[in-house]
Amino acid sequence: MAAVVSLKNVIKRYTRGKQQVEVLHGLDLEVESGEFLALMGPSGSGKTTLLNLIGGLDRPDEGEVWVAGSRLDELSSGELARWRARHVGFVFQFYNLLPVLTAERNVEVPLLLTKLSRSQRKQNVRAALELVGLADRAKHKPAELSGGQQQRVAIARALIADPTLVVCDEPTGDLDRTSAEEILGLLEILNRKQGKTIIMVTHDPLAAAHASRRLHVDKGRLTVQEERSAA
Amino acid sequence: MKYVPLIWAALRRRKARTVLTSLSIVTAFFLFGVLQGVNVAIKQAVSRMSPARLVVFSRSLGQPMPIAYAARIAAVPGVAAVTGMAFLGGTYQRPSNVQIVMGSDLAQYFKIEPEIKVAPGELAAALQTRTGVIVGRALAQKEGWKIGDRIPLHGLGPAKKDGSSDWVFDIVGLYDMPEQPESATQIFGNYDYINEERGSDQNTSIEFGVGLKDPHQATRVAQRIDELFANSPGQTRTQSERDFLESILRQVGDINYLVNAIVGAVLFTLLFLIANTMAQSVRERIPELAVLKTVGFSDSAVQWLVLAEALLLSLAGAMIGVGLAGLVIPLAGLQVQGSRMHVPHAVFAAAAGAGILLALVSGVPPALRARRLEVAAALAAR
Repeated sequence: MAAVVSLKNVIKRYTRGKQQVEVLHGLDLEVESGEFLALMGPSGSGKTTLLNLIGGLDRPDEGEVWVAGSRLDELSSGELARWRARHVGFVFQFYNLLPVLTAERNVEVPLLLTKLSRSQRKQNVRAALELVGLADRAKHKPAELSGGQQQRVAIARALIADPTLVVCDEPTGDLDRTSAEEILGLLEILNRKQGKTIIMVTHDPLAAAHASRRLHVDKGRLTVQEERSAA
Repeated sequence: MKYVPLIWAALRRRKARTVLTSLSIVTAFFLFGVLQGVNVAIKQAVSRMSPARLVVFSRSLGQPMPIAYAARIAAVPGVAAVTGMAFLGGTYQRPSNVQIVMGSDLAQYFKIEPEIKVAPGELAAALQTRTGVIVGRALAQKEGWKIGDRIPLHGLGPAKKDGSSDWVFDIVGLYDMPEQPESATQIFGNYDYINEERGSDQNTSIEFGVGLKDPHQATRVAQRIDELFANSPGQTRTQSERDFLESILRQVGDINYLVNAIVGAVLFTLLFLIANTMAQSVRERIPELAVLKTVGFSDSAVQWLVLAEALLLSLAGAMIGVGLAGLVIPLAGLQVQGSRMHVPHAVFAAAAGAGILLALVSGVPPALRARRLEVAAALAAR
């Protein structure tokens, strides 16, 4: 299978006060299309930084980041925004829904950047909410939904534009075990049945167990690699 | 249009703050509309006053002058027409309905005021009927009067010669003002009738109206008139109508300056209010704006969303405020020197311009902040 994500000798530094801190040290990574990859590691290990680079939210200081055929480190800010809209869906720990919009309006947001008509957008939103089992909660605002339901809305938003890649940053970090299992089950279905490439950052070994491959990030380097044996 | 729900949602995020800010904007622009309405009415009144017509007053403020002055003024070279004036204030049917009859030599008066149109037959009837009056068509419509009606007025000033205060006038004609139909609200009667019946100040005039053969000679004729009475106990002060009105308005102050100063101060205060609202709004929504960028909104798209929010808030408030002024002022029926106050289209355009300017000045800093927002840093700070 072709690599949908390819990082070559990526270095990322942050400035903290007067100091420059290197967070990722010459990291190489390849993720194949259709993979479900879990990035694990302690806090501050650089896994969210790595995820942000893959998702086009941040740029490396050195090295190359290739995702879905584009070299992200060479794209302008506007090009990167357009690339994100087309190729990547994001799922965050705290859902990051817009609180004043209903579930369906939240899911619709990425489609506002497309040329789809209003009725087409509505149709797609309906399908996405049905996929995550929340069609009956379309008119509810985030505050009227449980954590698990909010995360389902966030997943529907991540999928609505049919992205190449879904990146999830601690998607179950704010959920109880039951809700977490539901969300992980949903991600697994998306990966297996729809062939979505998923990269998930997590602390939780139980969550990581749902992934087909697990990578450990420690002090800015990829250390251990585990593959899930075929069930 | 598809972004409107996003902009609207941002404004609804803190409903109380949005409502209070909107009310401030509406109130400020209501004031803007009302003051500009006053300003425009004054300018219109002044511009309608002819520089080619003179008014003669006593130098002793409020003192009537002998009516015999009229003949002497008429003899001044360049004078085309002259009339003495006697005013009668009275109530019609109810105490709050005050009407003023301007008594003059009607034949002369309508020569001096050619923009007041009256049919020759009706003017002739007024000249032949001692109690005859010519009424403005707008006033006649308002009061339901028609030619042939008799209108009794209860005088507000000193009693008549016979001790009563009851006056009777007969409507023999209606006049029009084609350029300002709504200003045809006066009653013109015969000086002789009012003069002979009134209990005091007989054979005097509180002012003289003077028409000129050549408007360019106004200054010279005014000087000649004042020179005529320079050595008399009743010295005169002669000015063009326009100068006269402007001098009265100057006593109030430079109204244009006052209006602009008040409106400027209000809008300046409003600027800080909207800027504060927008800054708070953006500060609170940094993670949400970061999410918009995450899903693919570009830096400039997010910047325009914030600016559009400021524009919607400011422009809608401005239009509602000035629109309310446009509705309320005509209902109030306020007049300045017969010029009915209204909010002209230019004031609506100025309000829209001011609203846009306010939105840009107050919205640009938070919009730039939104534009420069680093997604990864903003999400990490959540």
